[in-house]
Amino acid sequence: MGTYFELEKLELLKAQFDTAEYDTEQAEPALYIGKEQLLELMRVLRETPTYSFDRMGMLTAVDYKEYIEMVYSLYSRRYDKWVTVKVKLDRDNPEVESMTQIWEGTNFEERETYDLMGVKFLHHPDLRRILMPDNYEAHPLRKDFVPLEPRIEGGVLTWHKQRSMS
Amino acid sequence: MAQTEKYVLNMGPQHPSTHGVLQVQVELDGENIVGAKPVMGYLHRGIEKLMESRTYVQCVPFTDRLDYVSAMNNNLGFCMAVEKLAGIEVPERAEYIRVICAELNRIASHHVFIGSLTNDLGSATGMIYAFRDREKILDLFNIICGARMTAHYIRIGGVAADAQDEFLRDTQKFIDYVPEMLDEYNKLFSGNEIFQARMKKTSIITKEMALKFGMSGPNIRASGVDYDIRKIDKYGAYGKFDFDVPLGKRGDNWDRYMIRMKEIAESAKIIQQALDNMPEGPYMAKVPKVLRPPKGDAYHRVENTRGELGFYIVSDGSTKPYRVHIRRPSFVNLQALDTMCKGMLLADAVTAFATIDPLMGEVDC
Repeated sequence: MGTYFELEKLELLKAQFDTAEYDTEQAEPALYIGKEQLLELMRVLRETPTYSFDRMGMLTAVDYKEYIEMVYSLYSRRYDKWVTVKVKLDRDNPEVESMTQIWEGTNFEERETYDLMGVKFLHHPDLRRILMPDNYEAHPLRKDFVPLEPRIEGGVLTWHKQRSMS
Repeated sequence: MAQTEKYVLNMGPQHPSTHGVLQVQVELDGENIVGAKPVMGYLHRGIEKLMESRTYVQCVPFTDRLDYVSAMNNNLGFCMAVEKLAGIEVPERAEYIRVICAELNRIASHHVFIGSLTNDLGSATGMIYAFRDREKILDLFNIICGARMTAHYIRIGGVAADAQDEFLRDTQKFIDYVPEMLDEYNKLFSGNEIFQARMKKTSIITKEMALKFGMSGPNIRASGVDYDIRKIDKYGAYGKFDFDVPLGKRGDNWDRYMIRMKEIAESAKIIQQALDNMPEGPYMAKVPKVLRPPKGDAYHRVENTRGELGFYIVSDGSTKPYRVHIRRPSFVNLQALDTMCKGMLLADAVTAFATIDPLMGEVDC
């Protein structure tokens, strides 16, 4: 995957954004940012000519039990560089700005993350479930997920919490 | 003046031209398409979740079931991501065998593309020809690993078994047959007037749109964007081979078809070079019986038949992955479907579905 983003440039970004930080011990450190500054950081990463990260390679979320972490992998076609950006979110109410405001092609991936992990994307054009049924109320990729029980009620497939197993 | 009214037509999930269980809600004004909304999830098996409760080695067969017509490429992507995470060096011979299998599978997958495309356009003969040749590749896989489609041949650290002389000899035979095969296809379809009329200047995706939607694979290259992970990342042994990346100009259905025809020839070129320079040596690295990658995460991407396939794996130091995320190319590519269908006739929607080449096993994961 080309080479990782230069540490000097990460240092520059750290000076520019007060919530930005990274692990100096690692060879390819992920850039952590506060969720308020995420959108601004991404704009800078994409639009500054010396960075020009024009491609959102991958976007996902990981449930670490105490918090939920958004992971963005960006790639610059011009410089053949890549960088990982991470945001920690509150697990009870995960909300983050939608990247569709910068990369329109993240629409489906954000819908998937919303569907499976329950992260709410603000200013997303069409935030609906994409893989699970529309009336499903749990988020399967959460670590405390318990499958819902399907039942037919009045000819409609509905989903209910499992009765405790005894 | 006649009064028209918009209405919604459901295509799929049980429609032969949607290549699996894709449902598309097509909004129509008469016969003109106003919008096309893909509805997914009919084949959702929760592979990402299933992988969390299995060891790394047990996860590999799941990747076969993602894009089930190019299983080798998916095995390759997952195994390389785990190898990156665990720091495993793969022997050179294994890298070469992997390239041969991945490229053979790419050709087989393009056979499915050509076959189903021609079938959708009303020529069932085309499908018979393409599937006849695909069978030759599946037979090769049968020789090397005993499975035809869900191969599970590429393993963490190398490949499951060494390539026998029989496999190498038959692969050479197939490669010698490729120019003749492409010639036949060109005579059968590419030169056909109706085929050209249906394909040219329909469902255009411009360069800007392709980049905007984050597309990848033959679909973005048909729009003229030089983006091939094999060339950019040179993962595995791909840096050692000389091949071209065919590019389209207009980004219409015709370009998306021609790109794949040219890619078959390029894949054959790669396989020929790999066969000629096949090194001797072990086919499997020394992988610990119980694989415990160190704590951390890794993202690795490969060029699947349909585009950029990425695996993001988080390890917590145990034998099972803490989280696996799969970036599936056809899932992302499907975002362009609406733009492709807008302003086209309903009959052209079928061509658009076929040339964007989604595979529902991969879209729904």
